[in-house]
Amino acid sequence: MIIEMKNIRKEFDGLEVLKDISFGVDNGEVVSIIGPSGSGKSTLLRCATFLETIDGGEIVYMGEKAAHTDESGRAVYVHPKELRRFRSYCGLVFQQFNLFPHYSVLKNLTDAPIEVQHRSREEAEATAMELLGKMGIADKAKAYPYQLSGGQQQRVAIARALAMKPQILFFDEPTSALDPELTGEVLKVIRQLAEEKMTMVVVTHEMPFAKAVSNRVIFMDGGVIVEQGDPREVFENPREERTKQFLRVFER
Amino acid sequence: MTLSTMLSTMAAGMLRTCGIFLLTLVGSLPLGMIVALLRKSRFSVVRLLIRAYISVIRGTPLMLQLLVWYFGPYYLFGWSIRGWRFPALIIGFVLNYAAYFAEIYRGGIESIPVGQYEACEVLGYSKSQTFMRIILPQVIKRIMPSVTNEVITLVKDTSLAFTLAYQEVFSLAKQISASQTSFAPFVIAGVFYFIANYAVAFAMERIEKALDYYR
Ligand SMILES: Nc1ncnc2c1ncn2[C@@H]1O[C@H](COP(=O)(O)OP(=O)(O)O)[C@@H](O)[C@H]1O
Ligand SMILES: [Mg+2]
Repeated sequence: MIIEMKNIRKEFDGLEVLKDISFGVDNGEVVSIIGPSGSGKSTLLRCATFLETIDGGEIVYMGEKAAHTDESGRAVYVHPKELRRFRSYCGLVFQQFNLFPHYSVLKNLTDAPIEVQHRSREEAEATAMELLGKMGIADKAKAYPYQLSGGQQQRVAIARALAMKPQILFFDEPTSALDPELTGEVLKVIRQLAEEKMTMVVVTHEMPFAKAVSNRVIFMDGGVIVEQGDPREVFENPREERTKQFLRVFER
Repeated sequence: MTLSTMLSTMAAGMLRTCGIFLLTLVGSLPLGMIVALLRKSRFSVVRLLIRAYISVIRGTPLMLQLLVWYFGPYYLFGWSIRGWRFPALIIGFVLNYAAYFAEIYRGGIESIPVGQYEACEVLGYSKSQTFMRIILPQVIKRIMPSVTNEVITLVKDTSLAFTLAYQEVFSLAKQISASQTSFAPFVIAGVFYFIANYAVAFAMERIEKALDYYR
């Protein structure tokens, strides 16, 4: 298991957003999370990547506890210094890309490896160029984010996350901010990563993509996992009424 | 008094004006950043003090502040204020401009999307790396127009040093004009301020251009 989240609870000002959620991701597994807006998908990813702190439950990376619940029922995290190590295990690709506008594409990819991971410039740049090549945008290394299309920017963001060599990569609706004609190029690189056995968790509304690429699909609604399983099972024979209702919206 | 002695007397004043201008910038540009950051301190006492400081500075005339800095030590503590004129002047200017710059910085910092901080957090940047490498450069670009306005105001505000009878170009112009019953000193001072502002505007424009490589 790369990550295990057990009995995760999270609330915002008394509103329970994650209600006792448990799930794990195996090495090389690709998991898609689907569900209506407001169901807690982003919050789950943000808890897994330590952007939000959980109120209860346990987060375990590679068998090591990053957070657990003590006897009094409060969630306790490891020391901030330790947490930096856990942070390095995971990457997150945002819906809005969040590239650094004042850095060139290449610097977006090399700055954190050099400044945070203290890797050599030569090695970081070689890794970055290789990743840009894989993303099909090697010719954009010197460009600035504003000079790129949305699809290209999101591919840079994926490369930036991969440049940190994470054990697992989370995607929060990576194509939702893109024009429809640009989603394909982003989904293509994610699919390619799946073929290379990159461990990934993808929140998406692209049902055909989820069905084709993932090993497992999780359907979330109202802060709980309603149903999960083999993508074919979930998409073609959903057991739960709520899943059926949700999927019906996506049928044309 | 010939025009050339008038000019050379006033040149000394121009140098003093430039001195006030440069020292104020050197002091208040960084101090403003410290004030802006302290304004978001986790200690509520600090936040309260900073807010009080900013609102007092912005709510009272700079001329009055200069007088308080100069005469305050004498009236409050009975201290001698000999040799205190120039330090009081610079303290008054620096603290005044730091408050205005702090507000500009704060606006700039708050305009940076939260996604930039989140990207940094996920990539493992420390708080200070996030600020120095990612946030601050973007803030500087965004606040350049407001800073330019403030710096141009400062060029003109240096003339308030006459309040403490400091012999910068404006004080001298007034004195020479009165003693020589001549209008020329004011014309010279006016031309000086105009050229100074022109130079400032030119320099700031160059900086803005240099930051134009991204959006
Ligand atoms: N920072 C926050 N403060 C308060 N409420 C929040 C915050 N983030 C999310 N929520 C609420 O939590 C619920 C789940 O949100 P989210 O995880 O973004 O859902 P999803 O990604 O599935 O659309 C929503 O009701 C949302 O309004
Ligand atoms: Mg979301």
